[in-house]
Amino acid sequence: MIAHEKLSDIVGAANVSCERTTLDEYSRDMSFVNTVRPACVVKPRNAADIKQLVKLANEILTPLVPVSSGSPHFRGDTVPSIGGAVIVDLSKMKRIIKVDRPRRVAIVEPGVTFGELIPTAEKEGLRLNMPLLPRKSKAVIGSLLEREPVIMPKYQWDISDPLACLEVIFGTGDEFRTGQAAGPGTVEEQWAVGGVQKAPYGPGIASWHRLIQGAQGTMGIVTWASMRCEILPSLEEPFVVGSSNPNTLLELAYWLIRLRMVNECFILNNTNLAAIFAKKWPDDYQDIKAALPAWTLFYTAAGYEYFPEERVSAYVKNISDITQRLGVEAAKAVGGVSANEILKAVQRPSEEPYWKLRYKGGCEDIFFLTINDKLGVLIEAMNDLAIKFGYPVIDMGVYIQPIVQGTGCHCEFNLFYDPGNPGELNRVRKLSISAVKALMAKGAFFSRPYGESARMILNRDAATVAVLKKFKKIFDPNNVMNPGKVCF
Amino acid sequence: MALSKEVYKEFEDVVGEENICDDPAIMPAYFATEFAAVILPKDTAKVQAIVKLCNKHKLKFRAISTGWTGVFPKNTILLDLRRMNRIIEINEKNMYAVVEPYVISAELQAELFKRGLNFCIKGAGSNCSAMLRGHGHLDQTTSADDRNHLAIEWVTPEGEIVRLGSLGSSDEWFCGDGPGPSLRAIISSAVPPGVTPGVFTKAAIKLYHWPGPSKLPVVGKSPRYTLREIPANMMARYYSFPSVEKMWQAELKIGESEIAYELMGFNASMVASNITTCNEEEEEVFRRISQEVQGPGFFVIIAGNSPEDFAYKKKVLEKIVSDADGKSLKSVEDPEIEGILLCQCVRISASIRETFRAGGAFNSIPIMGQRDLTIKWAIGAGEAKKPLIKKGLIVDDGGAFFGWGVEQGHLGKTEIFCRFDPLNPEAKKAVEEWRKEQCARAVNERYFADLLMAKIDESGPSLSNYHLWWRKIVKELDPNSVSPEGGPLV
Ligand SMILES: Cc1cc2nc3c(=O)[nH]c(=O)nc-3n(C[C@H](O)[C@H](O)[C@H](O)COP(=O)(O)OP(=O)(O)OC[C@H]3O[C@@H](n4cnc5c(N)ncnc54)[C@H](O)[C@@H]3O)c2cc1C
Repeated sequence: MIAHEKLSDIVGAANVSCERTTLDEYSRDMSFVNTVRPACVVKPRNAADIKQLVKLANEILTPLVPVSSGSPHFRGDTVPSIGGAVIVDLSKMKRIIKVDRPRRVAIVEPGVTFGELIPTAEKEGLRLNMPLLPRKSKAVIGSLLEREPVIMPKYQWDISDPLACLEVIFGTGDEFRTGQAAGPGTVEEQWAVGGVQKAPYGPGIASWHRLIQGAQGTMGIVTWASMRCEILPSLEEPFVVGSSNPNTLLELAYWLIRLRMVNECFILNNTNLAAIFAKKWPDDYQDIKAALPAWTLFYTAAGYEYFPEERVSAYVKNISDITQRLGVEAAKAVGGVSANEILKAVQRPSEEPYWKLRYKGGCEDIFFLTINDKLGVLIEAMNDLAIKFGYPVIDMGVYIQPIVQGTGCHCEFNLFYDPGNPGELNRVRKLSISAVKALMAKGAFFSRPYGESARMILNRDAATVAVLKKFKKIFDPNNVMNPGKVCF
Repeated sequence: MALSKEVYKEFEDVVGEENICDDPAIMPAYFATEFAAVILPKDTAKVQAIVKLCNKHKLKFRAISTGWTGVFPKNTILLDLRRMNRIIEINEKNMYAVVEPYVISAELQAELFKRGLNFCIKGAGSNCSAMLRGHGHLDQTTSADDRNHLAIEWVTPEGEIVRLGSLGSSDEWFCGDGPGPSLRAIISSAVPPGVTPGVFTKAAIKLYHWPGPSKLPVVGKSPRYTLREIPANMMARYYSFPSVEKMWQAELKIGESEIAYELMGFNASMVASNITTCNEEEEEVFRRISQEVQGPGFFVIIAGNSPEDFAYKKKVLEKIVSDADGKSLKSVEDPEIEGILLCQCVRISASIRETFRAGGAFNSIPIMGQRDLTIKWAIGAGEAKKPLIKKGLIVDDGGAFFGWGVEQGHLGKTEIFCRFDPLNPEAKKAVEEWRKEQCARAVNERYFADLLMAKIDESGPSLSNYHLWWRKIVKELDPNSVSPEGGPLV
């Protein structure tokens, strides 16, 4: 058991808690992973604290579980897998270190949420390439490190975007900076000569940030990260296109992204769109859902500094050539939900309560990557399974996000359920595990393995796991960093 | 060290006698290195078998794709991958192509143009492997470096086959990352010293829309190809500016407004190299256009997806250039010259003229990353070239540097080189000294650290000690030390 005093010496007594109620908060989340109570929760103030914590953890072989975002958590990655762990809650590290308009970059500490960074970025004329409606407590760094899909695929050149550089304390206790941030000199010295921490690759031929991303805190603790930002448009024209056929909308999205005509671009089914925009529950929700087409594609054409109206009108004309060919129509509203309303909403984190919890209080997400051609089959397979498990298909939210400039898409099924209803909870839990298995068998790629299904997912790729384990041995030889996660 | 007969025979059993050679008279045709043997595997299974044998006998090996950057320790077994030359798949709907190592860029591009697609061709030229990482003229639109790979098939230094990302889990090529942390972190190839350990045998690379014709209307004869006509909705221009600041202002705005298909910061000397066919002509044209340009500049290609798109981009370009007091180089407005540059800078056949022709050799400092920062450094490096020019030790290019924006200006590259006569030892030495001084200044003043020619033990300490971590990784992956680290490029 890690000594309370030693932790207090590092972070200060006020930043250590071993109270049962606090520990209970970190011992479970909204996912179905086992409840495991940590031994302590510490809130480091800076990188120096973190470094000492990691050193101490190595000395006394105590697991550390880094957490950036506030609750509720959903994926089980911040719940300890084994007893005696210390939660390293980074929510106190809240500095927005830099926002640089000409270089289009922002640097933040792990506790900074989207809601906190957005206004600062906007003041500089910048915006973030966001995930879809993150919860209010979601930390920007958490999202970057999880490789969450972003809603402007046009600006996602590489799947690691928008993450740029980061500073990490590896499991060994060593500090390392990735990409341009690595050096020469300190970050401050780099600023002094006009450098920012933007280029993600290197040093050397490696792209070290890719090892930290997707690791769920198993390689080290990130103390700050930089992200590329985009310019705030001076004019935005959002549109919606409804259809009963998701493949038609995918085809349209494909062309819009390939020709780089749109910024925000994603597809939602009627359940999700209603869950996001219903104001009065449950009447409003049912009415909106009934009025919506089965699928809605949302996109925005935008103009920047020069002749924005001309740019947007050229795009609108070119897009209408495509929609005509596909037999669909771009509109300003669908089933009572306006495109403007969607645009406004998705440029911010979700209003409270979090949109995924509004309908029933609980939500289990099943998400994977796939190619356009396979999506139809995978959606059908999920529908069949839902029926088999007695989960109403009409209650299932679907979110389709084209990724990396059109090289594939993220598909997410949102299973809303009432956590107070044991029957419903059990059904969703069983459905979720079976779904991962069944979808994987049909070719879905679970690139971000969480919780109960992680082992099953990783077992399919023994060769990758073997290499990852070699890396783990280097960066965290004592396995103190969030043990039990991914394949470690 | 020649292989023993027995060991040679084991390799021969894998590839057949036609595809292995240890003849000391033949092998130098590759590089000046003394190889232990050269082996030409046909597919991944053969590569794997060879690598396993190398482990068994603790023999060092290194693969080449098209072999432009040969720097190999003595006694290496060279895997020449030229028989692995298939385009496996072009997936239009998901915007990627899967290629083997010896598919050259020209070949892949010709296939892609037919489908209205293009990809990042390294500035080295269209004869280079399409599969390896690199950067070049098209980066404004097609990104660069390690950012274009999707799934990769990789034979580890121990001879295990690893299929990255979606390939390993679901047999699809569209994603190279996961499950969990991404192995793309270390697998990307590159020029020595930092080469990926093991062998890449196939890779999926990202594709991008190509708004031009399915085939460029090339006319003329080598070395003077041009276009019969400028394709619809396309335009190429060269603009010069009164100062570096003004040039940068225009480049930044062009990136931000997302209008350029290509933005290549050629200096006047490189324009001259590209539009001429011999040194005498180049010298004369350089002299002429040096008078015509008002300062530093760049070459731009605008390409519209429709007439409206083209008209819009052209209008914005003209506004940005005029706001920065830029001036169009008249010679490039001549459709013949415009055609030459369009052709060379889209098919990527420009590099050799720029680098080798005038002097016979060049020595360069390339830096990827933050364009405005590296420009700031390059101004000084350019000034430092001038005494060498004055002494007649290097080709006169006015002390210029060059570079370009990547990903619509999010990232960039700056490079500066000196061209010299390799038979003149004084010139060679002076250029090496210039390089050393300028790289040292880059580190001391906190701009960047040279990775091309420095040993990683020299650059590592100023870069978060990455060399120590890299070595640990290589050691883990390659316990028998059969995948050599290589050395600096020269
Ligand atoms: C005149 C000139 C101009 C250049 N300009 C540019 C430029 O503008 N942009 C740019 O990016 N580069 C440039 N380069 C460098 C260029 O990128 C490389 O020369 C080019 O990528 C080499 O491709 P290649 O297939 O010939 O590489 P190779 O020489 O075959 O290989 C390069 C390195 O990767 C390793 N390697 C090759 N194939 C494999 C494989 N299958 N598996 C594992 N490792 C492998 C090799 O061992 C070697 O160390 C230039 C080079 C020259 C000579």
